[in-house]
Amino acid sequence: MTAINKVCVIGAGVMGASIAAHVANAGHQVLLLDIVPKDSDDRSIVAKTAIEKLLKANPAPLTHKRNAKLIRPLNIEDNLDQLAQCDWIIEAIVERLDIKQALYQQIDQHRKHGSIVSSNTSTIPLNSLVKGMSPEFCEDFCITHFFNPPRYMRLLEVVKGDKTKNSVIDSVSEFADYKLGKSIVHCKDEPGFIANRLGVYWIYCALVEAIDAGISIEEADAVLSKPCGVPKTGVFGLMDLVGLDLMPNILDSMVSLLDSNDPFVKIRRELPLLEKMIAQGYTGRKGKGGFYRINKDSGNKVKEAINLLTSEYNPVVKADLDSAKISINKFKQLLENKDKGGIYALKVMSKTLAYAAMLVPQAADEITAIDEAMRLGYNWKFGPFELIDKLGIDWFIATLIANDIDVPELLYTAKGQPFYQEHNQQLQYLTTSGEYTNFKRPDGIVMLADIKRVSSAIIKNNSAALWDIGDGVVCFEFTSKMNSLDTDTMQLLQQSIKEVKNNHKAMVIYNDSNNFSAGANLGLAMFAANIAAWPEIAKLVSSGQQAYKALKYSPFPVVCAPSGMALGGGCEILLHSDAVQAHVETYTGLVEVGVGIVPGWGGCKEMLARWTNNPKHPKGPMPGTAKAFELISTAAVSKSAEEARSNMVLRDNDQITMNRYRLLADAKAKALSLVDDYQIPQEPTFNLPGPSAKVAFAMAVDGFVRNGKATKHDRVVSMAVAEILSGGPKADPTVSQSEDDILELERKTFMKIMRHPDSIDRLEHILLTSKPLRN
Amino acid sequence: MRHAVIAGYARSPFHLAHKGQMTKIRPDDMVAQVVKGLLERTAIKGEDIEDLICGCAFPEGEQGFNIARLAVFLSGLPNSVGGSTINRWCGSSMQAVHIAAGNIALGAGDAFICAGIESMSRIPMMGFNPMPNPKLFSDNPNSLMGMGDTAEVVAKKYAISREEQEAFAVNSQQKASKARDNGLFADEIVTIDGVSEDGCIRADTTAVGLSTLKPAFDVAGTVTAGTSSPLTDGASAVLVCSEEYAQQNSIKPLARIIAVATSGCAPEIMGMGPVGATKKALKRAGLTIDDIDIIELNEAFSSQAIACIRELGIDPSKVNIDGGAIALGHPLGATGARIVGKVASLLQREGKRYGLATQCVGGGQGIATIVEVI
Repeated sequence: MTAINKVCVIGAGVMGASIAAHVANAGHQVLLLDIVPKDSDDRSIVAKTAIEKLLKANPAPLTHKRNAKLIRPLNIEDNLDQLAQCDWIIEAIVERLDIKQALYQQIDQHRKHGSIVSSNTSTIPLNSLVKGMSPEFCEDFCITHFFNPPRYMRLLEVVKGDKTKNSVIDSVSEFADYKLGKSIVHCKDEPGFIANRLGVYWIYCALVEAIDAGISIEEADAVLSKPCGVPKTGVFGLMDLVGLDLMPNILDSMVSLLDSNDPFVKIRRELPLLEKMIAQGYTGRKGKGGFYRINKDSGNKVKEAINLLTSEYNPVVKADLDSAKISINKFKQLLENKDKGGIYALKVMSKTLAYAAMLVPQAADEITAIDEAMRLGYNWKFGPFELIDKLGIDWFIATLIANDIDVPELLYTAKGQPFYQEHNQQLQYLTTSGEYTNFKRPDGIVMLADIKRVSSAIIKNNSAALWDIGDGVVCFEFTSKMNSLDTDTMQLLQQSIKEVKNNHKAMVIYNDSNNFSAGANLGLAMFAANIAAWPEIAKLVSSGQQAYKALKYSPFPVVCAPSGMALGGGCEILLHSDAVQAHVETYTGLVEVGVGIVPGWGGCKEMLARWTNNPKHPKGPMPGTAKAFELISTAAVSKSAEEARSNMVLRDNDQITMNRYRLLADAKAKALSLVDDYQIPQEPTFNLPGPSAKVAFAMAVDGFVRNGKATKHDRVVSMAVAEILSGGPKADPTVSQSEDDILELERKTFMKIMRHPDSIDRLEHILLTSKPLRN
Repeated sequence: MRHAVIAGYARSPFHLAHKGQMTKIRPDDMVAQVVKGLLERTAIKGEDIEDLICGCAFPEGEQGFNIARLAVFLSGLPNSVGGSTINRWCGSSMQAVHIAAGNIALGAGDAFICAGIESMSRIPMMGFNPMPNPKLFSDNPNSLMGMGDTAEVVAKKYAISREEQEAFAVNSQQKASKARDNGLFADEIVTIDGVSEDGCIRADTTAVGLSTLKPAFDVAGTVTAGTSSPLTDGASAVLVCSEEYAQQNSIKPLARIIAVATSGCAPEIMGMGPVGATKKALKRAGLTIDDIDIIELNEAFSSQAIACIRELGIDPSKVNIDGGAIALGHPLGATGARIVGKVASLLQREGKRYGLATQCVGGGQGIATIVEVI
């Protein structure tokens, strides 16, 4: 196996540059090469400009701006000799076979023996790419197809050629898995591989069927989104995001390569609307707009949607369809619904799911590859075969026949049985031979779902559960809606601490969800506030403080393993653990001020402890306090685990896992590594600046209020934060305070600000609209 | 009375804090290199220097440890030269000149290096540990008012429109870029770590461009980043010696200091500080404002500069002829020595007689120096 250390990406377009960025995110040096433009003084200006764009792009391709320094901008004319240093060379240039082949000849002359070369092509077959290349090149070559944006899309399709060495696939897979965090789906050398073959078919089908059915794009998106387990952008929103201009190229390329009987070829037809839109610059979000556009003519931003029949834009009308309100858990009800949304969803989804079944074994050997590709490449909540299971295979076959859609052989093979089943506590899936086989994850990957399938919780209640994950380690799982935290969570946490103390070695706090925790259950707090049940709220605050403090000083190691959002109370639990093993995509911070309150479960205390003892920070009573104030009063949320480290929510010894699937295993390993010689942390003391700091903060906040960056109530809440962080009215830099002193300040301040009518307005607003109120 | 003269002037290139080319340079090294450059240009004997007085608005961190004494060591001056750091916010290094002139008059030394330094990249405004007095803040909140807010108060009180402020800023940028293009800063700038050009000047500034900026301090106000001096890294130094010493040592002085003054005003209109200070200094020199040929009036903000020009009845064509701080930058502690050195050298260049350097100072103060060509 080739150990991959240094990587080169050739082609500094959006994909190439973003792939290079993600290699840099993994901490590896990467060369980024592109052409030398005519009449340019700087011969590497294309790659340099691409790096500058990376720093400004949204969503950010880099997990930390400093990672840009790992990307070295070069050019193809002067710097190909540098390829000799690289272990993996990724080609991401224009989708033209002749240009790619010419480049491969050059690469082959300069690369070192045994280095890996791969193409990010999305449509060109591997066999065509390597035609005429040296045998050694063919052995070292494969296709690695990333999805846009590469940092966030977890799918990597890998295609092995006839001559590709197994070790090449192993090396690339290992690097992509551990370092780039990708889930690898092995595809056959078929046009569009798996995700785009099916995904583009689905999109195109949605477009054609919408035109034929005369359904509006708002209605189409209302059903082809949450009701189908598809992201809320819907299918037309997705086309705007991807870029309409890419559609004809991909379609032409696919149609030219596929058999004339393929449903993809059959559905293809001239679409004057699409051509007209592209010609007029309506290429999607990167252009003037797409199926949706923002019209600013009136001075306000008005979101408009195109009429597919007249090609005129009109203000968006929210779809009023019963079918659009059906949950994905009742997917069959959606397809049986007789309103126009239901009829439309039936047409699009039945064709798409049938096509998915046709792709096994044509494009993939197993159904699991197709499901994974659609889950991770198109962010479907459920893969096509999981969806078919929701419908029932027999119902689905009957529906296809009734709608005159060809029934692929695989469906007949499956007749009468589901694609997935549990057998002897093992998840199994159906193979093309009609038999079930155990579903196996790659080595070393454990999901909590796997453990839950084979065991019962040690203890649980309505909001949390404790699981034995082996080797003396337990996993504390949040189980409430959005993993919000309440007194039940805190009560089970206290119980779990006792349990672990007596019977286990370490605790991991983790869940399989996309988001670790949205924080305290605001709905409960709001309910209590509405009936003036202040003692209940006080109980919620103190129970959280006590549980988190008990967690911090428990006689065993506690490792939190967040992924996605870990906000408010979800961030405070990270702050009270011995270590954090964070997924790279961890978005965490103390966001309480956004909803008009202050961190009350020890968040202020922990941020103070970290920032005031930061040896890299200037000394004195103010710098640490001021930094904690800045982060808390602006509700700063890290946009990656690396940023969380900059904010000191993660500490130097905390670690980052790139692959979401490996998070639990890594957290468990981290916890076990802390077991021997575990020492309970020492209580910090605080020498805080007192009222002087409040003045300094007030001056700063007043400036923000005057220049329009902060609101009236922002000031009130910020000053409540200042009250805690300054150490209260009697604080003095010469006097030490304890953790309990700060916790008491948190409690008192929380209860005071919670009663403020403007804070209640903020809470109410976020609960009703999911958006913050800027009052 | 023994007269003090300005016998040499040097400064570093001025660059935007956090973004410019001086960001990574320690302030003690920066000021030492400027002092070294000044010593080379004036060919003064190090052992004749009584003291190195260095102005600095936030003398802490890398600007701490009595940076003036450190500059003595770092610039290779003999141990016999003293070093003292002086703080009058933006007026710090002009105050250094005043102290030197006073000492010379008193017979307490013949030659002084009066320097100024501020790395606004490396030491934040307000310092690392801002701990204002809570009682003062509650009794007299204006005493701690932010500088931008005072610029808004002045704009309102003296009815300086946004358009006027922007026209003033454009004019400052144009004068500075023209001066730079004509090499008029070459003899004052000391190359620091390979950096030899100013970095703040925006030659392409237009009134239309400025009109699109959002107010920087008050959402309903008129002061923007374009009509404020930028946060700047820079250092400056002047050689102040007695007229006799210059003669005896064949040093060609630029100008004689004939009057100095400081004054206080209400802190919320600190930008008007130059009015009181200039009036006092003019009276002490027995001159009127019309007698002054060349004026360096620090442009902390367009609004206060315009208001001071009006209140003092200054002919605007005499003011900041090579551009002011809005274009060049305003490294707080370094500005005073820069404008004193600048006005002295401009008198020579333009063949004029009297010059005035004046500036506003935080907390409601003004400081002024009047010089006469030699």
